Amino acid sequence: MHPAPSIILFTVLSGFGFGLISIIGLLQFLNQISTVDIVIFSVIGLFFSIIGLISSFFHLANKKNAIKSMSQWQTSWLSREAISSIFCLSIVVGNIGWVFVQNRYFNEVGIILFLLSLFTIFTTSMIYAQLKTVPSWNNMLTPALFIFTALAGGSILLLDYASLVLLLIFAVLQVLFWYIADQSFIYKETSVGTALGFSKNEDIRAFDVAHTNRNYLLNEMVYKVARKHAIKIRYISFFAAFVLPMLLILMFPSNFSVSVFVIGIHFVGIYFSRWLFFAEAKHSVSFYYN
Amino acid sequence: MTKLPKCEDKKLGLLIDLDTCVGCHGCVVSCKEWNSSGGEKQLSDINSHQKDPVGTFLNRVHSYERENSCTNEAETFYFPRSCLHCEDAPCVTVCPTGASYKREEDGIVLVNEDDCMGCGLCAWACPYGARELDLVSGVMKKCTLCVDRIYSEELPPEDRVPVCVKSCPTGARAFGDFNDPNSDVSKKVKERGGVDLMPEMQTKPVNKYLLPRIKSKNSVSSVGSVVEEETDATGLLGWVDRALSKF
Repeated sequence: MHPAPSIILFTVLSGFGFGLISIIGLLQFLNQISTVDIVIFSVIGLFFSIIGLISSFFHLANKKNAIKSMSQWQTSWLSREAISSIFCLSIVVGNIGWVFVQNRYFNEVGIILFLLSLFTIFTTSMIYAQLKTVPSWNNMLTPALFIFTALAGGSILLLDYASLVLLLIFAVLQVLFWYIADQSFIYKETSVGTALGFSKNEDIRAFDVAHTNRNYLLNEMVYKVARKHAIKIRYISFFAAFVLPMLLILMFPSNFSVSVFVIGIHFVGIYFSRWLFFAEAKHSVSFYYN
Repeated sequence: MTKLPKCEDKKLGLLIDLDTCVGCHGCVVSCKEWNSSGGEKQLSDINSHQKDPVGTFLNRVHSYERENSCTNEAETFYFPRSCLHCEDAPCVTVCPTGASYKREEDGIVLVNEDDCMGCGLCAWACPYGARELDLVSGVMKKCTLCVDRIYSEELPPEDRVPVCVKSCPTGARAFGDFNDPNSDVSKKVKERGGVDLMPEMQTKPVNKYLLPRIKSKNSVSSVGSVVEEETDATGLLGWVDRALSKF
């Protein structure tokens, strides 16, 4: 699949933003956070979530109809994502205002924020996980990976050693995701044979292309450039998203400026991870062009 | 709404015979022509008369080769690929704006371009690559089964079929109601064993394909026997043959 920068930035930045908000919500529920921290970190979470959502807006080819994406929540995960993110961010704004003015907070609002921001990340991941056409996405590892990527990133600013646990869970899920994506069994049902109505093992080769130039389908869904360097990029991603942040947190615990630096490195790693998430994914339409 | 209706009345679709298709791309050209003429809706092209032209098509014809298990020789066949108007159309349910829908009365899957925001998710959800985002208008394009022809009251009755069916010079494409067991397409599907594409995707396509039949050894060697028979020609050719054989 085509790794569009707008989509990668959207999933990385809004994932981090909602991850941060869910950690704030959890701490607020558990009475483990000061009112000043709620305001400061909620504004940071809000900022990244909104930047991410704006980035996704630039992916749309017909932006004037974007508002209509709130209408089909009964069937569409993308629609649920749009509604859930707007709803969650409204509560964040309300919470910031209340805490700022009253200098106290409701624990109940914390649990609502925690669950709603997790649900928003889940809806984002389900946009991809629902697609039978992309077998490497079409399993529950995708939501698990998206949620723990967001939680791990969001926890770096607010939690010390506890963020190491979340980073570790993220790392395990990430390696598992790459391992599963490499297995040939995920494509066990589809082949050029079934694509043309024959049996799975029918020996068929493309004889001539259907068109003389590239087209939307090839650009969007038959993206192959990345696979050449995939393994190297996985190492870079894993090192930047997990190994380096973990070492820095162990060496400099509770150091805010180090945390900001760690998040910068972590972002680079997650950006590469998401780039691979798209670039390595194989869509069933590619069987017509084998 | 993007909820899928139960199309219990009619299931309109195409039956494509790969044994008959000669890969002339006539359906591709006529489809592009019909869907770009008249009205504001266009299938756009970019750089159409320059280097690297790209354009939107609702129908594309691929060609493949496979080994004949009988003669061990490679055989080519042609494969027109377009929307299959699936009963469980994943492209419809993923649409966030409600632009994609499946008609309850005849099962045709359509895009309401006034609602489409061009996110492209429906194209990702379609296993068959049947949807293409128009790069000029920014909205999703797909086969309409020529809904503006088949119900037209202005066209003569014989023209009220999708233009790809009308234009096919070999009759490889047929249009009809797959819900009616007595329709021509249903009878042909039963008789020749019409198949679904990628049944594992559980989309329940309405369009069916008739696969190329494997040519037997007899049908291939019979070409040779025709040539041999000509040596036993009668009449004028026979006289020439006999006369020349004397020298």
